Order: sequence, then structure tokens, then C-alpha cells
Amino acid sequence: MAATASQGGRSGGGGGSSGAGGGPSCGTSSSRSGLLDKWKIDDKPVKIDKWDGSAVKNSLDDSAKKVLLEKYKYVENFGLIDGRLTICTISCFFAIVALIWDYMHPFPESKPVLALCVISYFVMMGILTIYTSYKEKSIFLVAHRKDPTGMDPDDIWQLSSSLKRFDDKYTLKLTFISGRTKQQREAEFTKSIAKFFDHSGTLVMDAYEPEISRLHDSLATERKIK
Amino acid sequence: MLSLDFLDDVRRMNKRQLYYQVLNFGMIVSSALMIWKGLMVITGSESPIVVVLSGSMEPAFHRGDLLFLTNRVEDPIRVGEIVVFRIEGREIPIVHRVLKIHEKQNGHIKFLTKGDNNAVDDRGLYKQGQHWLEKKDVVGRARGLFISDIIRRTDQSRTGIVSYRYKEVWNTALIY
Repeated sequence: MAATASQGGRSGGGGGSSGAGGGPSCGTSSSRSGLLDKWKIDDKPVKIDKWDGSAVKNSLDDSAKKVLLEKYKYVENFGLIDGRLTICTISCFFAIVALIWDYMHPFPESKPVLALCVISYFVMMGILTIYTSYKEKSIFLVAHRKDPTGMDPDDIWQLSSSLKRFDDKYTLKLTFISGRTKQQREAEFTKSIAKFFDHSGTLVMDAYEPEISRLHDSLATERKIK
Repeated sequence: MLSLDFLDDVRRMNKRQLYYQVLNFGMIVSSALMIWKGLMVITGSESPIVVVLSGSMEPAFHRGDLLFLTNRVEDPIRVGEIVVFRIEGREIPIVHRVLKIHEKQNGHIKFLTKGDNNAVDDRGLYKQGQHWLEKKDVVGRARGLFISDIIRRTDQSRTGIVSYRYKEVWNTALIY
């Protein structure tokens, strides 16, 4: 898990530097980064099918993530997501091993290996279910606020949300864990999704962003008073 | 660049989310694969579920029926049993009944099969020069039946309830 996290960090750093060095270098690399820029549509307003519940939830989650990361400049921690990706990758690896081994050694001889792979696969599925239910819950963002003095451990902000099927009430919960005192504080709001989307399905950031900021500030100011 | 709006969701995903989508698809395929391989291990047969392709076993099995097979080594092959076997050089397994058996002292078996609805035994289907089948040709024994066209069959038996007696079928699943 630590290896995949560091690899993700390294490739992110490499992408950043290629964008910065695009000017003076030769034409091919700058056109490649230009194509990547055209592919990414971070600035385009989010438009989704307003009747599709999962699309609505995903777009609200992604926008809340953007607000927290861009406005407050927090650093995203990929630990939870990487854990889930690792478990899934290991499961698929067992399936591929079973497939190839059975192809190389036809059935009766491959029975012990097959039995092992099948059992391991379902054990990994069980682990994945436990992981998603208990460790990850519905958290989709874990962000760190680096302490400016560099001495105290980071404060952790967690975002989790829920939107029931065929329901229009969206609940967003922000959790703040102080690095120094290890205390945990939460704030949440439940609003109808109709407040944030217009009739064509476009997410109106002007209505959504103040909600996020209000949640954030309510937790941040309590810290200052203490 | 073309404005392909339906790709917007993909464009908005970062690397991790894209990888997760690929993994999701892989896990669905893997689950189906693992269930099939798991059935293979449990039943001991290389093809635990087969479809009846011809009408050579009527009125017991009709075309389109699903058979659930097991292939336990300790089950002896006896006359009257329905076995699924594969002839060397042919891919498609055949579902027929055992007619005659020659058994040696050491347990080595040679047997002859025939379809219920056929006029002659299967010697014409076997390989050139082969007159008997052996245990190694067996893919499995029929243990369960899944009838897929019950409405057509009940319609044909308008005069009453037709009962089928199978020697080796433990459970019969009927579905509309």
C-alpha cells in the first residue's frame, strides 16, 4: 500500500514538472501537454442527468472535494482509496492466476491450484466488504492541513456524504481531527439537491460553495476559540 | 477537439478513479469466472453445467434443458445410468444412457452407450476402431435437470400429467 501511494505521488510530481517546462522545450512535448489540457475539463461547469442519483451524488462529492482542495489548499491523502484499490487488484490477480494455470495444465491436474485461487478470491471479497463497510464507510476525501510551523502533526479533514436512492436529500458531513489534541469534531448539513442544480442539470457552484465554506468555518472557528 | 459530451464523466475522473472503473469491470468478470471454476472444483467435472443439444434422450431430456453434472471418482458406472461423455477428437460432449458394461477385477471398466430415442447404440459415433468407452472419457454424471420449456411440454400432454422417471436425477427444477 505504501509503495502504490509513493508511486502515485511521483507520477503526480512528474506531470507537474512537464507542464512547467513546456515552454522552452521542443514542440512535441508542449503539444502533448496541450492535448492533456484540452482533455481535462476541470473548469467546465458540471452538467449531469438530474434524474440519475449516482451521477448527482458523484458530482456533488467531486465539487466538495474541489472546494476543499483548491480554496483552502489542503493536501489530499490517498491512503483509504489506495487500500481499496490494492484489495481489488489482489483479487483480480488471483482470478488471472487461476485462468492461466488452468489453461496451461488442463483440469484434473489443476484442481488444487484452482481450489486455492477460488477460496482466496472469495476471502478477498469478504475483506473488501469489511473494509468498505467499516474502515472506509462513506468517506470520499481525506485531506491534510500542513501545519505552517512544521512542528505539530497535521490536522485531518474528512468528507463523507450520503444520498438515499430516489431521495433528494443530500447529507454532507465534515469531520475535523486535530493533529495536536487528537480531538474529533463534526458538522453536517442535509439539503435537497434541488437547491444546487438548475433545471438542465448543471451544478451551480455559487449556491453550493458557500455551504461548504460555512461547514468548514464552523469547525475552524471553534478551534480558534479553544 | 470534438466536443463529446458523453465523455465528460470520464474526462473529469482522475487516474485513481479511472483505474477503479477498470478494476470494477475486472471484478465482475472475475466473479463470474471464479464461480465457474469453483463449481468445477466442487463437482470434479470440467463442465459442471451442460445444455442438451439433440433430441436423442427424449422423453427424458429435451433440447434446451440444462444438466447439472458431478464427476466423483468413487461413483461406479452402472447400467441404466445417464452419463455425459466426450469422444476423442470431438469437442462437444454427448448425454446418453449406459447399455452394457465389461468390468475387470481391478475395477477397469468398458461400457457401451445408447440414446433413449435412438434406434441403434452409439458405436457409430465412436472413433474409428473404438467399440467401447472408458472412465477417462466421462465428463460427468447427470445429477440435476433444469427444464426450460415447461409450457410447451405441459401443453403437449393435454390428456393428463406426464410423469418422467429418471434413475439418477435427484432434483428437478421447473421454471416458466
